[in-house]
Amino acid sequence: MRRLMAIMAVLLGTVGLLAGCGSSDDNSADGASASASSGTKPLVIDITFSGKDVTPHGDRVDVNVGQNVEFLVKADAAGQIHVHSTPEKQLDYNAGTTEIQVGSFDQPGLIEVESHALGKTIVQLQVQ
Amino acid sequence: MGGDVTPLAHGIGGRQDLPVPLETAIVAAVAALVVSFVVLAWTVRRRTDAVLVEAARQARGAGSADALRRTGRSGFAERVGTLVDSRGWRIALRTVGMLLFLYTAMVAIFGQDLEINPIFGVFYIWMWVGLVPFSLLFGEAWKAISPVRTINAGINWLRRDTGASEGGGLYEYDEARFGYWPAIVGIFAFTWMELVYPHNSYLGPVRLWLAIYVAVMLIGGQLWGSRFYANADPFEVYSSLMAKLSVWGRTTSDQGDEGRLVVRSPLANVDTLAPRAGLVAVVSTLFGTIVFDSFRDSVPWLKFTQGDNIVARHAYLADNLALFLFPLAVAAFFCVGTMLTGVGDDLDRHRLPGLLAPSLVPIVAGYVVAHYMSYWWEGGQQTLVQASNPFSDGSNWFGTANLSVNFFFAYHPTLLADLKVLAVVIGHILGVISSHKRAIAVLPRRHMVTGQIPLLITMIGFTVGGLYLLFAA
Repeated sequence: MRRLMAIMAVLLGTVGLLAGCGSSDDNSADGASASASSGTKPLVIDITFSGKDVTPHGDRVDVNVGQNVEFLVKADAAGQIHVHSTPEKQLDYNAGTTEIQVGSFDQPGLIEVESHALGKTIVQLQVQ
Repeated sequence: MGGDVTPLAHGIGGRQDLPVPLETAIVAAVAALVVSFVVLAWTVRRRTDAVLVEAARQARGAGSADALRRTGRSGFAERVGTLVDSRGWRIALRTVGMLLFLYTAMVAIFGQDLEINPIFGVFYIWMWVGLVPFSLLFGEAWKAISPVRTINAGINWLRRDTGASEGGGLYEYDEARFGYWPAIVGIFAFTWMELVYPHNSYLGPVRLWLAIYVAVMLIGGQLWGSRFYANADPFEVYSSLMAKLSVWGRTTSDQGDEGRLVVRSPLANVDTLAPRAGLVAVVSTLFGTIVFDSFRDSVPWLKFTQGDNIVARHAYLADNLALFLFPLAVAAFFCVGTMLTGVGDDLDRHRLPGLLAPSLVPIVAGYVVAHYMSYWWEGGQQTLVQASNPFSDGSNWFGTANLSVNFFFAYHPTLLADLKVLAVVIGHILGVISSHKRAIAVLPRRHMVTGQIPLLITMIGFTVGGLYLLFAA
């Protein structure tokens, strides 16, 4: 049992060390992307509704923390888009073309953008 | 134009965690792999030891002898035991449970059908997610506060039947035959509500679910006594399984009642989990449904179920089927892996999944912790804020209404990712050591090393699969 404990201790230490190395790499990467993002143009996402379909449906889009997001919606009927950020947002669009300012996100995370009427996920915003 | 001023009526769950970085997931997978083979190598060195004798004894006695030996009679455990077994302590916990129950019933019946009604947080986060950390830290938490147990005891008291034997049911619960199977129905009922049912964030369905739960539990308790709760209450079964990874255990006494409180290592504690009918199924269900929860947010699954194909046209049906198929796949993978493990002639292969299932509990717990860590942190706080305003009229009952949620994990995604993979890897290590101890008890000496390889591959499969989902979903 004691030997087992020793083995576990060593291995856990190794894991911690490896994780530590990995995380320091990530941090520098995060820092780099964050500094690059400051002052970038807003991210425009084209969304097309037609009947019961929506394009895109399930794409993952990279967004920088603090970057403005804009939806350019082309639709054949008016409707609503739900942005599952914290707090959540409900955005209306009309038939025809609607330009929606979604704003920016200051918390890193994965944000689902859905149409509840269609029951579909349009995009997932990967904020980091 | 953007009308984000309207308060949302419904919808639980906002922002989710970022995926774990690929490098972190790979490092963790490699660590899991290395640990697994170190444990296997450890078998080779120790196989002639007394471990074998003890393990064989353990296989028969489900580890009680070993656990007892390691327990020690520490004064600390004895003092805590005296406290928690005292009448006052038990009544205090039961009172806490009943107050929570009454509060939940109040907001379920009189609350408004709005997103800020605390019922949703209480139901989906405090009850289901919260029971895991409480059970891991403090042992059988749900059993201690279970309001349905308390009400059942109250009914028995009114009937002047204090239940000298086993909580006083009309019939004996046939544990050997039915085991955990009734709880599996409950776990599916909950996870279906949480993950599949589209109207799960409306008050009506949640209220109905809870009403049915309470009704079934009270009728079952009257029919089969308190043993029913240990096998059929989905919350208690889940909680008590997680409690096997806490440091709190109990000695088993011959009368079948609860023994003394003891402090033991989580490994020794999980050894005391006796195989029971439905154990493989209940562990597979818990794991499979959470895997489904991760998987359904992954890009390939979204693209597939929302694209132009036969499955997408029946997306709701596909979700329903997937909720059952994932646990089935987990169970099948585990059963095949364990049954391929080499055994002697005196042991039926079909018994192996059941005998080795307790070792899956740490792996499941690790994944559950990783999956829910940030959700519990943020959602738990959010619910506490909402709890002060039970009728959505702006009141501040407990003074928590104006607290703001601390989004620590959201701002430290790297730390969160590291903690998640660490939870998965620790769960894997405990699982592998535990399965190894069980395996050497059932394997003949000539198969000692080779016989364990299918089992080991199964465990690695679960862990790497879990890590992949943390990375991809």
